[in-house]
Amino acid sequence: MFQVLPDPIKDLLRVLEYWDYILTGFITTMELYGGAIVMGFFLGLLLAILRQYGGFFLSRIATGYIEIVRGTPLLVQVFLIYFLPLSLNAILDAQGLPLIPIGEWSFQTTITIIDRSITFTILDRRILIGLLTLGLNSAAYQAEYLRGAIKSVSTGQLLAAQSLGMSRLAGIRHVVLPQALRRVIPMWSNEATYLPKYTVVVVFIGVVELFGTAHFIVGKIFLTLTTYIIIALIFLALIAIISKALDFIYKRTKIPGL
Amino acid sequence: MVGPVLRVVDVSKSYSDLHVLKGVSFEVWEQEVKVIFGPSGAGKSTLLRCINLLDPPEKGEVYLCGQNLMAPETNLNAMRARIGIVFQHFNLFAHLKAIDNVSIGLRRVKGLSKEEAHVKALEALDRVRMAKWANHYPAQLSGGQQQRVGIARALAMDPDVILFDEPTSALDPELIGEVLQVMLDIAKTGTTMVVVTHEMGFARAVASEMLFLDEGVIVERGTPQHFFVSPTSERVKNFLKQINILYGSHEELLKRSNEGGSK
Repeated sequence: MFQVLPDPIKDLLRVLEYWDYILTGFITTMELYGGAIVMGFFLGLLLAILRQYGGFFLSRIATGYIEIVRGTPLLVQVFLIYFLPLSLNAILDAQGLPLIPIGEWSFQTTITIIDRSITFTILDRRILIGLLTLGLNSAAYQAEYLRGAIKSVSTGQLLAAQSLGMSRLAGIRHVVLPQALRRVIPMWSNEATYLPKYTVVVVFIGVVELFGTAHFIVGKIFLTLTTYIIIALIFLALIAIISKALDFIYKRTKIPGL
Repeated sequence: MVGPVLRVVDVSKSYSDLHVLKGVSFEVWEQEVKVIFGPSGAGKSTLLRCINLLDPPEKGEVYLCGQNLMAPETNLNAMRARIGIVFQHFNLFAHLKAIDNVSIGLRRVKGLSKEEAHVKALEALDRVRMAKWANHYPAQLSGGQQQRVGIARALAMDPDVILFDEPTSALDPELIGEVLQVMLDIAKTGTTMVVVTHEMGFARAVASEMLFLDEGVIVERGTPQHFFVSPTSERVKNFLKQINILYGSHEELLKRSNEGGSK
């Protein structure tokens, strides 16, 4: 250990000198995570409902989407969404048709913290593509967790709702989902704790999130081990907080007596 | 009102090769209590699900107050709101307190305000003697209490008829009495009811007509008097003998209902 890290405190301080970079990287990671989990939740809920209640065609379309997304590597999906517009444009160009706009653009804001002025990239083309891919990917996994929870609500619940005169959709909304969403939390916490780590794949399309930041710092000061350990610890802390928070929500929303 | 509340005409239903109902017809008039009984697999529960079209029949017609439920222009959700159902396994909404179980239909289907629905729901809970349990969740209640909330949920909607699908057969024996008592009470206040049950004491006390269903057809029909004194078919005689052995007699329940019941 001491041979690998001859002077751990000094190394640590040298890496932490780059705290402004680590901060911007962290913000980008959180943005990707937050955006993808929310987008994945709503799309996943839609997919789960369609797969469970959608009838012959819609349930098959939902199943197809879920199986394709879960069956292919996330990295391939990122590249596909990143490069597809470029390839399409080559075809469109050859036909003399108008192109898909893919120029570089970005929204940035600069804030001075302590002695440094830090530029945060809120959104650019790469982050947007990363967000979309992660959200579309997470939706497939979340859909399966949600479907499991929906299926676990007994069919008598929806029957009772319909026999009161509620439409099927109203029954799903007011009776099935409130129960399914409570039950799904322990399973869903899998996705909530996996996803932060999956966000690192966007490094391959040039997004500088936490992992990309680590890469950058290592390139500057060559303290490989220290840098990556710090990044790992940040992930560990983040996931510990998410996991605790979900546990808390699960206990708070539990149906009394069950 | 002119005409029956509920008219079931030649209803048939099959699941793949299994013919569950083979042309069942009967009428229920206002304030009548119709008791349907028969061996398991006779099609009793299927018949009830056919009546409110949760499981639409393949053949035949169902009329509620003269309106054909099978007609394509019928708004089924609106019609179902006028047919109450009490389930064998209660099917209370697990995430809602007793009071909200009763008021959800009033709010979401009948469009009552939160306050109006609350008042009506509390009245309904009071009728089944569950008002003081209003803020309990289903999992915190006994089976008998849950079933009484189930009855209140149906009552609160002011339906034209309430269907009971073996309301006491999932209950522990000592909890059956409280549910039957509530059912007797509401029968006596003139609620139109169709009850699938093997509780012969209940049938004897309030049934205006009893239907014996076996293998998807009504084998015999008549007053409780007819069934307990002089049933005609061998099938019915056998069945009633079995029931008697299993359940014993309900002398106690009968006595209570004769004393006025509403206590």
